[in-house]
Amino acid sequence: MTSEVSKGLTRSIELYQDRSSRVKELRAEGKKVMGYLCIYPVLEMMTALDIVPYRIFGDLHEPVTEADSYMPAVNCPFLRSCLDIGLKGKYDFLDGIVTSHICDVGSTLSSIWIYALKPPFSHHIDMPHTLHETALAQEKGLLEDYKKALEGLSGKEMTSEALEAAIRVHNEQRALVRELYELKKLNPPLISGAETIQVIKAIESIPVDEGNQLLREVISEVKERSNGPQKKSSRLLVWGSIIDDTAMMEMIEGLDANVVMDDTCVGSRPYFDDVEITDDPLDGLAYHYLVDIKCSRTFRVNNYMDVHKDYMKDLEIRFSYLKDYADEWKADGVIMESVRYCDTHGYDVPGIRDYLDSIGLPSVYLEHDYTEGALAPLRTRVQGFLEIIG
Amino acid sequence: MVRIYFAGIDLGSTMTKVVILDEDEQVCAYVVNHTGAEHRRLANKVMEEALIQAGLCIEDMSFIMATGYGRINVPFADKQITELTCHARGIASFFPNVKLAIDIGGQDVKGLKIRNGKLLDFVMSDKCAAGTGRFLEVTAETLGLKLEDLGRISLGSTQKISVSSTCTVFAQQEVVNHLSNDVPLEDVVAGLHDAIASRVARMVRRLKVEPDVVFTGGVAKNIGVVKALAESLGCPILVPEEPLLSGAIGAAIIGKELTFKALANGETIQTGERRLEEATFFK
Repeated sequence: MTSEVSKGLTRSIELYQDRSSRVKELRAEGKKVMGYLCIYPVLEMMTALDIVPYRIFGDLHEPVTEADSYMPAVNCPFLRSCLDIGLKGKYDFLDGIVTSHICDVGSTLSSIWIYALKPPFSHHIDMPHTLHETALAQEKGLLEDYKKALEGLSGKEMTSEALEAAIRVHNEQRALVRELYELKKLNPPLISGAETIQVIKAIESIPVDEGNQLLREVISEVKERSNGPQKKSSRLLVWGSIIDDTAMMEMIEGLDANVVMDDTCVGSRPYFDDVEITDDPLDGLAYHYLVDIKCSRTFRVNNYMDVHKDYMKDLEIRFSYLKDYADEWKADGVIMESVRYCDTHGYDVPGIRDYLDSIGLPSVYLEHDYTEGALAPLRTRVQGFLEIIG
Repeated sequence: MVRIYFAGIDLGSTMTKVVILDEDEQVCAYVVNHTGAEHRRLANKVMEEALIQAGLCIEDMSFIMATGYGRINVPFADKQITELTCHARGIASFFPNVKLAIDIGGQDVKGLKIRNGKLLDFVMSDKCAAGTGRFLEVTAETLGLKLEDLGRISLGSTQKISVSSTCTVFAQQEVVNHLSNDVPLEDVVAGLHDAIASRVARMVRRLKVEPDVVFTGGVAKNIGVVKALAESLGCPILVPEEPLLSGAIGAAIIGKELTFKALANGETIQTGERRLEEATFFK
């Protein structure tokens, strides 16, 4: 249980502002706290060994000063920021770091992190980027290695029962996030896009069971409150790379629009599919993390060789879930956003734009450099877009 | 019958433009002046000047619409709309068949796809001021020329040079290098105009280039860039008589349309506090 008295949205804001407060208490009680970068280092496996997963984020408000010695300015500004604040000691309390091959820069960052920050434990999941037949077997093999590494750290065996129990509690978290997102289908939505980021970031900063409790509190609070988001002219779906700060959502929602749905990784992306409990739990986990999660880092086609034979069909296979989101959440338009130099998401932008054009859903693309200063010119783009669709 | 008036104020990064229109969309007054330093946007002075010119007072304005980069907090405006929508509206009022509009201002470049007078899509340059009015200002200074002379000088070019960058810093190095190699000034200036035009052409290609193509903003006053742009895009370029005013005129027209729509619905138009004070840049 948390030692603070605050609950729900207030607790989310506190954790958003001071993310490590709870895990530092838990560490003082003897628990291990594991940093992880991006959403792929299978959290269930940490939870199964009573290791607390703690997601590594950057800090948009902190100028990058230290990371320049290790990463060039043409690298992902988000990952540069993560390393920068790591170099400034913000993640020194962690018992280790787990990374994965999210992209080439992310993969290289894990080596730099190990070299520069010398964490007591580190593990890298070199996960595949396609859905080839062999990819799933490779992912499972990588998770077997990861399991051994975590067992070595904790000195305990990761039993199938413990892993199944962990999958259940994480699936419960996914169900609660989806329940929260159901409340965004209303007009006005019961929770704003900026508040959603605060809540998601909060649950990614505390143990999963405490996160579930927090989600229950938030869900009942937003249903009851009278000071939630106001009705606006437009309802937007935001797709793209990581947004781990409320600034951009606040900018958008400060205009005549509500962000009612997202497909971003500090949002719905890690939570919208459950992990199937399979005879060997690693099978279900491998499938979920490789196939279910729809991030640009995984090239998604049903049959790899089909690519380029039918462009529009290929786009439909890859992106029709965005149409489903727009239909269910009644979005009038889509904001595609990407942090600068994110090739992974950038490559998907023309395809997604073509797909959205084909279904008559207007979109605008925003590229930002992960600083506060970048938001003013973006406001003109978003406002201009809203004037077009409004 | 009492005449009614509408003001549009376009606070650009470099210049502030105010236009006062009557209900027939005739320009009663317009003023173009420097926006002023970041912390003291002298929008109120430009507005006062326009009111004096028109012989009107602020209460005579049925609606005051603010647009432009500094639109966010104009204490005497009733509403703010982006320069994207306002430019499109203003340009379509002079050129009803416009399909593509290009605006090159002091610090950015915008491409607007317009159909039947409505903005459909847009592209904007990033926060870097490469290839904008600022680029030409700095270049003119390096060359010891007046900004307004660049266009005329470039027309004398017989063998324009190729400038690979519109980055204000890198292009200066190239310019100095060419001058030291005795390249005639007019060829250097024409090369700079070409660099701007090809950058803009790349940007707006996504919006589809088809006539009428209209060019506005301060840089549209430079005949050399107009010529280079026509060559790059492969079609004639139309430039309004006063290319700086399209945003402010569009703002005033949209204000008029909102007012008439409200009147038709029997509603009262909502105006702001209208404090004729300096505009701070952001809230």
